[in-house]
Amino acid sequence: MADKIGVYFDESSLGGMLDIEQLVAGVQKKWGDLCPVVKVHPKLASVEGRSLIQADIDAGTIDSVCVCGTSPRVDWDFYEFGPAITVSRVSLRELCVLCYDDPSGQALVPGQPPELLHKMAADYVNMGVVKLQKSKIPQTEPWEVVRHVLVIGGGWAGLTAALNVASIGYDVTLVEKKDVLGGAAADMYKTIPMQHPYDKAHTTGVDKKIADVEASDNISVLLGSEVVSIAGAPGQYQVIVRTGKEEQEIAIGSVVLATGWTPQNTSTLSPFGYGKLKNVVTSREFEAMAKSGDIVRKSDGNPPSKVMFLLSFGDKLAPFAVQEQEAKEAALAAAENKEKEEDDTPKTNFIKQDTYRHLEYSAELTSLTALKQANYVREFLHNGVALIVYEHMMVPGINELYYKAAQNDPGIMMTKGIVQEIRDGGDDDIVVVLEDTLLGSRVEIEVDMLVLPTGMVPTTALDPVLRLTYRQGPAMPDLDRFSGYADSNFICFPYETRRTGFYAAGAVRQPMTLATAETDAAGAALKAIQCLESANRGMAVHPRSGDLSYPKFNLMRCTQCKRCTEECPFGALDEDEKGNPMPNTSRCRRCGTCMGACPERVISFDNYNVDQIGSMIKEVEVPDDMAVGGPRMLILACENDAYPALDMAALRGKKWSPYVRIIPVRCLGSVNTIWIADAMSKGADGCLLLGCKYGEDYQCHFVKGSELCNRRMDNVAETLGKLGIEAERVKQMQVAIDEYNELPAMIDQFVEEIIKLGPNPFKGY
Amino acid sequence: MSKTTRIEPNLQFVKELQEVGGVDLKKCYQCATCSVVCPMSPAENPYPRKEMIWAQWGLQDKLTNDIDIWLCHNCGNCSEQCPRGAKPADLMSAMRNMAYRKLVPPTAIGTWMSSPKYLPILAGIPATIWAIIWMIRAAIKGTFFPLAEDGRIVYDNLFPGDFTIDPLYGLTAIFVVICFGLGIKNMIDGFKANMPTTFVIGYKKPSILQAIIDTVRYDILQHTRFNDCVDSSEDNERVKGHQILFYGFLACFIVTGTVAAFHWGGKVITFIAPLVHTPMPLWHPVKILANIGAVLLLVGLTLLTRRRLNLDDKKYRSNYYDWYLLGVIWVVTLTGIGAEVFRLSGMAPLAFLTYYVHLVSVFMLIAYLPWSKLGHLVYRTTALIYARYTGRLPIDEKLIEDDKIFVI
Repeated sequence: MADKIGVYFDESSLGGMLDIEQLVAGVQKKWGDLCPVVKVHPKLASVEGRSLIQADIDAGTIDSVCVCGTSPRVDWDFYEFGPAITVSRVSLRELCVLCYDDPSGQALVPGQPPELLHKMAADYVNMGVVKLQKSKIPQTEPWEVVRHVLVIGGGWAGLTAALNVASIGYDVTLVEKKDVLGGAAADMYKTIPMQHPYDKAHTTGVDKKIADVEASDNISVLLGSEVVSIAGAPGQYQVIVRTGKEEQEIAIGSVVLATGWTPQNTSTLSPFGYGKLKNVVTSREFEAMAKSGDIVRKSDGNPPSKVMFLLSFGDKLAPFAVQEQEAKEAALAAAENKEKEEDDTPKTNFIKQDTYRHLEYSAELTSLTALKQANYVREFLHNGVALIVYEHMMVPGINELYYKAAQNDPGIMMTKGIVQEIRDGGDDDIVVVLEDTLLGSRVEIEVDMLVLPTGMVPTTALDPVLRLTYRQGPAMPDLDRFSGYADSNFICFPYETRRTGFYAAGAVRQPMTLATAETDAAGAALKAIQCLESANRGMAVHPRSGDLSYPKFNLMRCTQCKRCTEECPFGALDEDEKGNPMPNTSRCRRCGTCMGACPERVISFDNYNVDQIGSMIKEVEVPDDMAVGGPRMLILACENDAYPALDMAALRGKKWSPYVRIIPVRCLGSVNTIWIADAMSKGADGCLLLGCKYGEDYQCHFVKGSELCNRRMDNVAETLGKLGIEAERVKQMQVAIDEYNELPAMIDQFVEEIIKLGPNPFKGY
Repeated sequence: MSKTTRIEPNLQFVKELQEVGGVDLKKCYQCATCSVVCPMSPAENPYPRKEMIWAQWGLQDKLTNDIDIWLCHNCGNCSEQCPRGAKPADLMSAMRNMAYRKLVPPTAIGTWMSSPKYLPILAGIPATIWAIIWMIRAAIKGTFFPLAEDGRIVYDNLFPGDFTIDPLYGLTAIFVVICFGLGIKNMIDGFKANMPTTFVIGYKKPSILQAIIDTVRYDILQHTRFNDCVDSSEDNERVKGHQILFYGFLACFIVTGTVAAFHWGGKVITFIAPLVHTPMPLWHPVKILANIGAVLLLVGLTLLTRRRLNLDDKKYRSNYYDWYLLGVIWVVTLTGIGAEVFRLSGMAPLAFLTYYVHLVSVFMLIAYLPWSKLGHLVYRTTALIYARYTGRLPIDEKLIEDDKIFVI
């Protein structure tokens, strides 16, 4: 708890637009002894400025620092004074001076600050002070970790990850279901090119990888083995592995999930003649033929001379879509009934994701495979012709060169076309009818053999794989949203799954080539190590890397409502038999969603808690008469997207209403509804929650935060209704970081709506 | 329900196309830039995109019966703009080469004309014939270089027109005409089955005569469409070169025709024979015309050859058909001029030898005409007439300019 706060004003960030003397006087008057030092420096972000602060710290005059000037996102590392000193930043530049839009429309003049601007600055300074007053230095908990990484899956990605982890000196246990290493790569005759000039398929080189793994002293390989259960938290997992009939427990620090893919059920291919016409095969079967060195027709054992590779589905997958939609609805209805009946069967978060869409999701790989196998036709069959009919030829990046090489082969014909019909052409030949071809007419082509694409189904779609003993269930959460792929759904950190300590690599998270899986595995390996090296320091791994705070539970007041354990996006909280939350610090990502969820407000962080934000809200001075002093609205802005967007808008000269006060929050998920109640009872006229996009293409750093917040808004509206306050006064908006230029208009529109509603009826009480 | 076309992709055909000049056709990724940048292509079923697709698919029937390959004048815009370097212009010219090679039997000549390795056969035939005649005449005259009584060099003494040149070339001409007739029939039969549709607003079906008149007037005499194909100064050189060469040929044709007419006509109406009796004095109007023709040929050849030598190989590629034709016309022209110069300067052995080569090269130009690039003289003309007749081309270019009709 800070009790000696030094407040420092940086003149250089304010451009003379504020009366700093007046602000200083305000701080001294209001906070008195709490702020023994209140100083102004012409350029605080300088060596002199910093040593000015350091001198006060060294003299023991202050124990925490409040810097009033630029946004906390500017010079964030410059104002660090060691672990014992807490620092708060008051953004007088971005959120005050730069964005200030005077109601009269007049521009600011240096030396003549309007009253409204001064009030705004004073509010922010007071918030900065009270924030420190309510902050404690996070107490770290040392955490023993096992420097041992478990790699599940001995295919291309798994082997690579194991080698990468081992090369840095960590121990690895590699668990492979089959009796041999190599996975899907070992079944391939060749791979699409992985090296310059990228125009020729070549052998995969998986043998060398296997040999390297087997030769490594740091890697122990368990063949014919499966994970039975995983309990614990990052740094200290107890993994039970079954080999044959024997089970063993292994202490593990973190896990690389590289279980890859399985070929899709061929029933998806039945509309394309598979199973009915003898010479219709899957690309997987064709690969096996090439691997065995003998490409022949199933019907007569003769080599084909004209082989078509079909990458076009037309409307033939549509019935599956209808079928799956119906099944989904039926399942939902069944689940509802179950809930009513209070079924006692144990709940699981795993729902099998066996969907035809895996075929479509594999488009890049099926395209590349068709190119590769068309080359097999040319390699194996004298004067053989390969035809590739595609709806979309997906060869992004460097693989374009491979496509070009195939194009140049006179024996490979590629064309766009929508498949219409596939029928028997006699002699076990196949006639393929195509629509919308470049010829402008419907065409039919007779071929000796038809090769259909193989959909790559992530292993996590069909099986929980990890078998976690977590309260939220054995599998990765929300797999139904992503058709079973164990992907983070984030472009910037794809390996991070929704379970801290588990890093997915390879086709288990996205259909990918060996080349991509190679870098993927390296990334996941590094993440697994980062996880160990953060957990042992009691730090958050990601995305708040290095954060030492963690949620503390005052279980005395817990009512066992289970909201926190259910809502934690990362399954960090387990439950005891009574339903009390059991935190696992190293699983936690410090988003504060549990704190937002808790109706009893028993969860808090040392430097971020319900009381702290509540007190900050109370520092907003709300004029008793809206007609005289204007309205006041509170904005709680997610510090991952919305807050940076506000900074960017202000720095680019955008302005917005001076009646709003902005408080950054870790995540909208951490917003406790009491804050809204605090604001409204204080007389604020409205409250706006700015968070990330949620839903299918969510951008929330903590996956669920803004979505959960949105769900809680229903309760908020209900509570407001009871108090006789219009529900419209509280609103949540979604904003992406690149939408900064739309943000000011969003704020202004909200302010206008509130002004139309008139003053908060509670004002003045 | 639209018509279903059964297609048989033909790998062999793709390879053949690559051999006759469409080396890069496989690089096409069907973006249609070529048809967009083409200054001549109609909006309906434009070329050369569809030809590129047919070629990749190996659709031999469609390509060999395609009228549009003759409507292209090979400005090379498409090749220049092609993002993939697939060189559609080369394909169009390869298709024309394919027509030269396959349209008319005996296809053996077509094969001989398609590759330099058969050049010894092509040259060997006339070389042998004229060598034998030379031997026989030398035996009769007692010398290899027989001079006239007055000591002048008269080629008729060695290779008498009445008994050697005229009958031999007469027969060759008849053979060529028959072959061309067959070629025209094959072409039109093919066109009929594969005519791309074109909508012309304000269109009235012309008579065949009208179509012929227009083609001769615009395409042949004025090079109107060829001129539309001009996009750069090099293109201009090409059209100018072609036009000059064409008029040079026309002059030589008129000269040859006049000489033949007076010679053989002179057998009936005897008094006209001496009017154009070869060798003619230099002041003779026909001789003047002949010499003008020779100069035009030289100028045209120079322009066209210079352009071809300066072509950017990455964008355009000259093929064997181009070089064969240019080469033969060069030899015909140079030996023609040489024969005249050496004759006048009295250098008998050199003069006779040059004349011999001239006769050989003229044979190589005329006898293989239906299978050489010069065949376009007939094929392109036929296609243009047919295109005008069916509406694929506007009947009167001027009507479009005057907004009287619209081709879409």
